Amino acid sequence: MMARFTALMALLLTALTALPATAQNGPLRLEITEGVIEPLPFAVPVFVATGNGAQAAQDISNLIAADLSGTGLFREIPASAHISRITSFSSPVQFADWKAVNAQALVTGSVDVDASGGLTVQFRVWDVYAGQELGSGQQFVGTAQGWRRIAHKIADQVYSRITGEGGYFDSRVVYVSETGPKDQRAKRLAIMDYDGANASYLTDSSSLVLAPRFSPSGDRILYTSYASGFPKIYVLDVASVSRRQLPTQDATMSFAPRFGPDGQTVVYSLEAGGNTDIYTMNVGSGASTRLTSAPSIETAPSFSPDGRQIVFESDRSGRNHLYIMSASGGEAQRISNGDGNYGTPIWSPRGDLVAFTKQLQGRFHIGVMRTDGSEERLLTASFLDEGPTWAPNGRVIMFHRETQGADGQAALYSVDITGRNLRRVPTASGASDPSWSPLQ
Amino acid sequence: MNTGQIISGAGHIAVIGWILFGGMLPERELEFDVTQVTAVSSEEYADIIARSNSPEETSEIAPPAAPEVPQDSPDLTSEADEPLAAPQPEAAPEAAPDPAPTAPPAAPQADVSPEAPVIEPPSEDMAALLPDSAARPQQRPAERVAPQQVEAPEPDTAVDDVVREEAVPDEAPSEIVREEAEATAPEAAATEIVTEADEAAPLNSVRPRTRPQQLRPAPEEQPAPEPETQTAAADPAPAPATDTSSVEDALAAALGGASAPADTPAPSINAGPPLTAGEKDGLRVAVQSCWNTGSLSSDALQTTVTVSFEMSEDARPIEATVRMLDSTGGTEGSAQQAYEAARRAIIRCGARGFGLPAEKYASWRNVELTFNPENMRIK
Repeated sequence: MMARFTALMALLLTALTALPATAQNGPLRLEITEGVIEPLPFAVPVFVATGNGAQAAQDISNLIAADLSGTGLFREIPASAHISRITSFSSPVQFADWKAVNAQALVTGSVDVDASGGLTVQFRVWDVYAGQELGSGQQFVGTAQGWRRIAHKIADQVYSRITGEGGYFDSRVVYVSETGPKDQRAKRLAIMDYDGANASYLTDSSSLVLAPRFSPSGDRILYTSYASGFPKIYVLDVASVSRRQLPTQDATMSFAPRFGPDGQTVVYSLEAGGNTDIYTMNVGSGASTRLTSAPSIETAPSFSPDGRQIVFESDRSGRNHLYIMSASGGEAQRISNGDGNYGTPIWSPRGDLVAFTKQLQGRFHIGVMRTDGSEERLLTASFLDEGPTWAPNGRVIMFHRETQGADGQAALYSVDITGRNLRRVPTASGASDPSWSPLQ
Repeated sequence: MNTGQIISGAGHIAVIGWILFGGMLPERELEFDVTQVTAVSSEEYADIIARSNSPEETSEIAPPAAPEVPQDSPDLTSEADEPLAAPQPEAAPEAAPDPAPTAPPAAPQADVSPEAPVIEPPSEDMAALLPDSAARPQQRPAERVAPQQVEAPEPDTAVDDVVREEAVPDEAPSEIVREEAEATAPEAAATEIVTEADEAAPLNSVRPRTRPQQLRPAPEEQPAPEPETQTAAADPAPAPATDTSSVEDALAAALGGASAPADTPAPSINAGPPLTAGEKDGLRVAVQSCWNTGSLSSDALQTTVTVSFEMSEDARPIEATVRMLDSTGGTEGSAQQAYEAARRAIIRCGARGFGLPAEKYASWRNVELTFNPENMRIK
């Protein structure tokens, strides 16, 4: 019987396997569901220099490469490995030479500095393996002193053409510069390029300043100052470095301000009578509207990119959690559900994520979650990580990290929303409370 | 329900029932067949037992002597084991954690190798060159040589029971001429017997091509160069030049049928044998290894694109044929980014060839790959 059963099964298997073996109609179809996640190799040969542009060509090429490499999404192929040399901006690219060194993207350009110091930079981006240009060539014109900004703009273009999302290199960061020991720390506002270059101070250290926040257009900065003895909100014009205090009630403390997406509305926290609630204010008229009235502490509000909702933190449940409510107030919905204390939420410029600080078991984390509280993931962990701020493209988060002990220093760090590419942002002194500007 | 269906159903039920239950009863009968009993007397039994025991032999063969050898050195083995076991677990944890964070910097050196990535794939030409260098065996002497040279070779005459007239290949295409190779010379007319070793077999072995006419039944005719029936090599005239133009033609004729006219329309390019699951997995894994989604935007990671391309016979994608067929789940811009990443994967990993079986070229000449980044999204 067993032999018969085996024979029958063999017959069935033969019949089944013979069916697809008869012929294959149409192309071979496969589904690719797994890939690799690794930096994309690229090459930026030194731009072709004309006029007095030799040094500028070298500097601009290097900065573009540094911008792209700093994202963690790209990996520069060093010039020592290049086979081809770009001697003319208009010459055809020898793609085989760049394929040979595994360069998948290629940036070529030319730099010209005229006698008056005018700087003209042209560039092209190439998909080496496709053997064609990504986008079309572009040209930037500026002054020789502004070469860094032109390089950042070119890097933004390259980033955008390869990844399909906007860059963040031509942006600035305002932060609190800290000097001195912890118990006598002097703090003042400072502003710099996203990579730490061109730093300058916006205020002196005569009074304590906290939590600077860029406006959506990047031309103004909100911050909290103790100049009057109480924390009050000020707005500072970046171009003129002039400032004014926003009108608030006497004998109250106002803090944690952020601009709304319209640039005219400010949402902030106000403490009065031992209770802290969230308010909005029109910057022009100074008219305020109270949004919450719970006896608990509600603070750290942040608008959604469309201005229709506000995420904030509250201890109404006994521990600090994140809540979302309408921009006009009303009932709030809790979105954080994990253990620990959640704070300082900030809505992603894309609108899909909320970054936050989480304190759990004695350690601080920077994390992100969906706006409904799902898919929470912690990106960092240290003695003290706080104050997340989003890059203009919503791909990178900058925050400050403070080391332990009396001599502990605060420093700025950036991390990709995947949790990779954690990098320290260079600053001349200690730095905290960063706020990332939009693209300039 | 018609009668045919009833009969068919009854027949199937009967067959299945016979397969499942019909074998039960015969099994019991078989038990009786295998039982055999032989009467043995007590003396014979004692004699058998005495011979089978053979106590002297077993005591000599007994390997206890061998175990005594290790007994002499138990101390050595036990001492040697302890130091071996100790260092192994200690070395592992030290090496593991450090390389992990420093792995990314090491990667560039490998990728920036100046060596050209293009490696010549195994091609038909290479296979054809190999046999030339192989030493041919020594020719055996002719078994019989005619005492005199036959002055008038009559190539058209043959020894056969049936008298047939030779078909003159006046305007016939090559495939008809091949069939006329059956013409044989009279045995007495040959100056020598050409053995198979002396026969002008093709020196080159060519990788078989795809079956060009798989759907057409294979002809019964043998290929033109039939060593056993061919006359002496001294008859070059009757053999048309077109008949032995190339070995590939002969193979094609053998595989595809010599009777097919030359102007027969090419068969469907997709009519070849299908790839096995392993071969498909090989292609899939090869493309996956080059599908880099690390630089894709979140929107592009939401976009599934289907890319089609054509491959040459050495299993390399033809770059000009790569194009996006379809995209779902994203914007036009994100679809373009996703497509470019997919195209890079195909071209980059296909530059060395995907190593697909050449005999199944028709099965993988046209390929459609769907790149689904669902598992690659940021989570």
